[in-house]
Amino acid sequence: MTLDTPRPLDATAPSFATVAEELLDDVFGYLLYLTKNWAIAEDLTGETFETAFKKWRRFDPGRGTPRAWLLTIARSTALDWFRADARRRKREERAEAADRRGETDSFGEGFSAELEESLRTLSAGEREVVALRIVLDLDSEETARLLGISATAVSTRLSRALSKLEERMRDHDVVA
Amino acid sequence: MTSSPDLIHELRASRPSAPLALRARVRELSPADVRPQRRRVKFGLPVRRVALVAVPATLALAFASAGVLGLVRSDVSSTEALQRQESLAADSAAGKTGELAPSTMADPRIESNVGPTADRAQRVSATLTVEVSDADAVSRAAQDALDLTRTLGGYVVSSSVATGEEGSASITVRVPVGKVQDAITGLSGLGRIVSQQVTIDDLQATLDGLERREATVRGQIARIRARLQAESLDAQTEAVLRARLQTLRGELTELRTGISSTEAEAQMSTIQLTVVTPGAFDAVAPPSRIDRTIDEALNILAWEAVIALGIVIVLAPFALVAFAAWLGRRLYRRHEDERLLAT
Repeated sequence: MTLDTPRPLDATAPSFATVAEELLDDVFGYLLYLTKNWAIAEDLTGETFETAFKKWRRFDPGRGTPRAWLLTIARSTALDWFRADARRRKREERAEAADRRGETDSFGEGFSAELEESLRTLSAGEREVVALRIVLDLDSEETARLLGISATAVSTRLSRALSKLEERMRDHDVVA
Repeated sequence: MTSSPDLIHELRASRPSAPLALRARVRELSPADVRPQRRRVKFGLPVRRVALVAVPATLALAFASAGVLGLVRSDVSSTEALQRQESLAADSAAGKTGELAPSTMADPRIESNVGPTADRAQRVSATLTVEVSDADAVSRAAQDALDLTRTLGGYVVSSSVATGEEGSASITVRVPVGKVQDAITGLSGLGRIVSQQVTIDDLQATLDGLERREATVRGQIARIRARLQAESLDAQTEAVLRARLQTLRGELTELRTGISSTEAEAQMSTIQLTVVTPGAFDAVAPPSRIDRTIDEALNILAWEAVIALGIVIVLAPFALVAFAAWLGRRLYRRHEDERLLAT
């Protein structure tokens, strides 16, 4: 066999369409939590899946789940966007532009107004860990690998985020 | 008040869903049944696995090469050790460095029957090493050697006798060539022969050449004398002939001296006798093959370590700089990510 011979498809691996259909909500939800902006999350999700589709043939199921792989690409895409946005210092303008498009920046249907408001007060990093551990239900190890930090750091960050969230919610209750 | 379980429940229950437009856009990306390809057998291995194999393999190779080279070199060192030991023994027996030592180990059981040819001029020299039981025997053997030399009509050129725990003697004598065989036989009988070497250089050709030249010079002198006496020569020619005669006389004198010394050389043989005790040879026991192999292997391992250390010393600064750059970039990226996500 020569190196130029095309490699056979792995019949046991899922197709990209199946994975995309299955994990689209996860990726979108993660990016929405990270950016707290519906329009930006939508753009970044599309970009994430485009990148993933280009790399899909090289995906190795033996090295991780498709979800972890997609979320890694999503995070990298989001961080690139954050960097570019910070450099150009147009983040606020983009957010306003998105608002002008009339999108609703809700984290999800069924959220109470207090929870929505409280989530917005968290930092992107805190929202990210909430999204991964609570919303997408990734375990500590998987989350740690994705964020490039230790599992202990993940637990600490999550605990801090939830405490902050509870505190904000408590403040809302008191005010109410 | 909202409790944590309620909060978590609410967060999970309200998972965001991707908009339909986005879902349609993603569907358009992959119309065909695109699946990952089977992983090709990797030619490159992960660094840890490579290290797990490479490090023990390198060490094994280093030890194996040291072992094999040590085994091979132990043969060479064996010969060298033997030669060193012989040389050491001879030096020790001679009591000084630079004394003529036997160049080869002769079989003690074989007596030399090599002798000069009676009708030819030859230079005969012999080197003989005998071993006696103790220091007292060394003194007795030295005295016997001197007595034998005088009995045979020879004389002593040099004599050095050292007494003590490991006595030794070194004696150089000259005996008439006709008696050299008797001298060697007699001296060999002073103890156990450790080595002997007899060298014969033919001087007849040299002697013949000198004698032919002498005859020529004598003839030339006779002719010049005849011319000087018989003819009336002009002053210049006479001066030239007399100068030539003077030169030839000088040459004749040198030729006579040369012939005499060559004949004298051919008349007397030189014998160098070394008397040693067993301790001189047995003082340092030769190392066994295993010891030599281990020594050589350790030497090679030491050299391998030195070379490896040299490579590490040369490469370490570059590796450190590369590692620092990689670590710095990684920390910077992480810090930047944290800063971005802190907003």
